Amino acid sequence: MSDVLAVDAVGLTKTYGTLTAVDRLSLQVGQGEVYGVLGPNGAGKTTFLRMLFGLIRPDAGTLHILGRTWDEHGIRALDGVAGFIESPKFYPGLTGRKNLQLLAGLDGGAGRSRIDEVLETVDLRGRERDKVGGYSFGMRQRLGVAASLLRDPRLLVLDEPANGLDPAGIRDMRALVKRLAGSGLTVLLSSHDMAEVEEICDDVTIMRTGAVVYHGSIAALRAKAPEQAHEIHTTDDERAALLARAAELEVTRLDDGLAVRGPQPQIDALVAQLIGEGIALRRLTRRETPLEALFFMLTEPDTDPAAPELAITGAAR
Amino acid sequence: MTITATTTPQPTATAPDKRRPGVGAALRWEIVKLAAQIRSRALLAVALIIPPIVVAVLNGQQQPPSDTIYGRHVHDSGYAMPLLMLAWAAQWVLPLLAAVVAGDIFAAEDQHGTWKTLLTRSVSRTHIFWAKTLTAIGYNLLVLVVFAGGTIAAGMLIVGTQPLTGLTGQAIASGTALRLVVTAWATTIAPIIGFTALALLLSVRTRNPAFGIAAPVVIGFVMQLLGSVTGLDLTRKFLLTTPLEAWHGLFAQHPFTGPLATGLAVSAGWTIICLAGAYLSLRRRDITGG
Repeated sequence: MSDVLAVDAVGLTKTYGTLTAVDRLSLQVGQGEVYGVLGPNGAGKTTFLRMLFGLIRPDAGTLHILGRTWDEHGIRALDGVAGFIESPKFYPGLTGRKNLQLLAGLDGGAGRSRIDEVLETVDLRGRERDKVGGYSFGMRQRLGVAASLLRDPRLLVLDEPANGLDPAGIRDMRALVKRLAGSGLTVLLSSHDMAEVEEICDDVTIMRTGAVVYHGSIAALRAKAPEQAHEIHTTDDERAALLARAAELEVTRLDDGLAVRGPQPQIDALVAQLIGEGIALRRLTRRETPLEALFFMLTEPDTDPAAPELAITGAAR
Repeated sequence: MTITATTTPQPTATAPDKRRPGVGAALRWEIVKLAAQIRSRALLAVALIIPPIVVAVLNGQQQPPSDTIYGRHVHDSGYAMPLLMLAWAAQWVLPLLAAVVAGDIFAAEDQHGTWKTLLTRSVSRTHIFWAKTLTAIGYNLLVLVVFAGGTIAAGMLIVGTQPLTGLTGQAIASGTALRLVVTAWATTIAPIIGFTALALLLSVRTRNPAFGIAAPVVIGFVMQLLGSVTGLDLTRKFLLTTPLEAWHGLFAQHPFTGPLATGLAVSAGWTIICLAGAYLSLRRRDITGG
């Protein structure tokens, strides 16, 4: 792989009036990496991607894309880059194939066989003669990926590609992204779904209200994650809470039941103890995964990302 | 559903770019898109079909529309028909013809949310701006040629090629009349381009196709209203509707072309200002929604 970074952003800032949508964002994505930009809605992920695609200009900072910048290279900054922001949009009155032909024309054209190939890749063969207006949301997402692949990108940027899809669509979209990533493509994936990023990406930047709260590998993030939390409902939650605390588990009272957090063996021991004490267990369910829990801790508004226990910036590049 | 991924060919990091798409590629894209629109085809059909119908109806009327320029002569010469039609069209038809495609051409991308799709390809905003502008102007000139050609041909075929009476009462021979009628229609090219530019500006600024189409027609009406107010002679010169009447001087006993030259300059001014405004607005715009 080339030494040139696929994305090299330093101190990117974008404000709208008094709102700082992106606040001194710095991140580096090497070629061949599968990189996640994670954050809740309003974290600034899409604003960053808009700056990457030149749709908006940053107020401060520098951004190199495959070694090029918008200021120096203009539209050439997007050579080797493809993707979509938010949901991909097409001309509803034209067929899927016609849309792809038109878009390919803006890149110098693509032969029929190439269009067939990308349609095959995203499993839209057989529907390419239908008007896009009749496509489901998932089909449009896949057409968006097909339109991106027509550019033969080295860097594929996908903004919440599974957003709005049904479970089967999510599964298939994730599988597609993983396979594309496996082909050597650099993938920059924006998502608000920790599980999606965990499944697909090697490295991640987590954003909250425009600022980076974590930057590093998924593996390093996983090491920082809290223990698995469970939700317990018993016939005597008061005594159950006492027993859980005695077992050195972290306990939170819920409106209905308890949330307990701790190592799995201690949870197992607590369950056995509850039964031994004559407390019936009505329900035991896993709450969010440890990484999801960490994600919420990092990004929810009532937590301070600068607090010592949450200051978990990963290994610097 | 099963999705399969194929390996995408990877260009090398330093590979020289192949032939870069530019305005030509964007122009082809815009023309194909325009040709696929029912509205654009329908407008061309209307421009072709309506003139002979109107000419036939007017020719069949006992009472000619005497209160309109050349109205009283419609039964006397087939060349009066296209001049009557020109005077009538200048009131609102020509601004509307200019705005139907131009007022929508940028705003439609906002409506469909396709700006992001386009601007993540290999063509710049500048390329897209000129492609859309050239398409709109080219299309409007095509509609004008079809409309004018249909009107002139219908007048000659339905009424005849009799000599035309000039605005100062002189007789104009058939051959000269045809040349003057064609020239009269040709003088609308500059203001039509001006109205096209105005519609393009409104299309970019408002991002609303309905507004982009309707507003130039309303603005045209307002200009005509201003043009009819006495005491606003200087203002009248700078209105985009005034050049649409500049052809009158061609049909005087001693033809005068001063209004044509002024109209050309005024139309050029409107065109340059509106296109510059539209271009700068598109260049500077943050694409956040569409």
